[in-house]
Amino acid sequence: MMSAVMEQRPSAMQRAIEGDADSFAMLIDPLLNPAYRLAAVMLSDRMAAEDAVQEASVKAWRNLRQLRGDESALRAWFLSIVANECRMTRRRRWWSVVKSADVESDRRTDAPSQEAVTDLRRALARLSPDERLPLVLYFYLDLPLDEVARTLRVSPSAAKSRIYRAARRLRADLTLEEVS
Amino acid sequence: MSQNFRRDLNREFDAISGSPSPALSARVRSALAQGRPARTGPFWMAGLAAGLIAAIVVGVLVVASFNRHQTGALPGTAPTPSATPSSNPSPSFTPSPSPAQTPPDSNLPAFICAGPVSLAGAQSPAVAFVDAVRTGTHTGYDRVTIEFNNGEPGSVDMSQHNGTTFTQGASGQQVTLNGIAGLLVIIHGADEHTAYSGSTDIKTVYSVLLELRQVEDFEGTVQWGLGLSKSACYRAFYLANPARLVIDIQNS
Repeated sequence: MMSAVMEQRPSAMQRAIEGDADSFAMLIDPLLNPAYRLAAVMLSDRMAAEDAVQEASVKAWRNLRQLRGDESALRAWFLSIVANECRMTRRRRWWSVVKSADVESDRRTDAPSQEAVTDLRRALARLSPDERLPLVLYFYLDLPLDEVARTLRVSPSAAKSRIYRAARRLRADLTLEEVS
Repeated sequence: MSQNFRRDLNREFDAISGSPSPALSARVRSALAQGRPARTGPFWMAGLAAGLIAAIVVGVLVVASFNRHQTGALPGTAPTPSATPSSNPSPSFTPSPSPAQTPPDSNLPAFICAGPVSLAGAQSPAVAFVDAVRTGTHTGYDRVTIEFNNGEPGSVDMSQHNGTTFTQGASGQQVTLNGIAGLLVIIHGADEHTAYSGSTDIKTVYSVLLELRQVEDFEGTVQWGLGLSKSACYRAFYLANPARLVIDIQNS
């Protein structure tokens, strides 16, 4: 059974590279949920997040030949395209300041009223989307550090440093060991 | 302690993102079906071509600049503005809620189930150039977005169409779209052949919107026919930055 699965996946990748949309859709289907969550946190707009994932999916398919490595490299590569699409969306639409503020105001209605959580929420709202990105990848999507690094296109040590810096802005007493 | 931090942080992220629409997967599949895979040409050729074009442009600018100095520019003359001013001046930024984002549903016009919808453009150019056409499906509606690169078109009329057979404006030929009900969108003061190079026949796998086909692009009038799986309510409105005509078709 396992060997059948192992054999099927590379061929789906090959078919996708040759232009088969269904094969590519099958490959990225499990990645759409994490991609959407990443985009939603970066954009603070759920509808725009779905738009960004859709656009990123088409771009990924068009550029699939640029993917280095096999299917195991697909997740980090695809998420990096989604993150880039989110940056382009923000540049295109001129609403980064407004939406950053929305993160805080939107959450007021449906979250528990604990002081610590409120502080965390405020601190999170102050982070830029690019500062939120390593936190989302590492803490929310649970990606291993080397995959976070590939998504950010930096070295693992630089990725760890970015996670730590962003996390420290949320909780000042966080230690580097806690991020490891 | 670290686990608490992770838990609290993830709770916040959950609150921001929620869950994706159940239709996201179908939407992406549909977008992929409309898209095109990568061309297989070597990238170095594209890079070389870009480099050559850049060198030619720089050369032309240098020669033009040299000629201008030779033909009368006096020393100390204030520099003249570029001969090719930006066609896209920077918009002024205001901290008020931007029209660029999709407004909350409560601010959108109500769906109507019969009769025409008309929109008038604000500060419309003589011809608004379409540069993108997109489709998407969301909870409650399927959406068509027609984007313009220089402002809103003069006016838009949308109405129900009898069946899904449309007459093409230029040729007079009839085309039949997927579905059993139709909508006709007429955009006055627009052009879809200058800046738009995408598909003019877009098929989807959404629940209501099944096909979108350009049926006219002639003398400043653009028409799109929409094929629907059933008669449905609809609405249309503009979004800005960039200018977009948004058409929603109720799917629930």
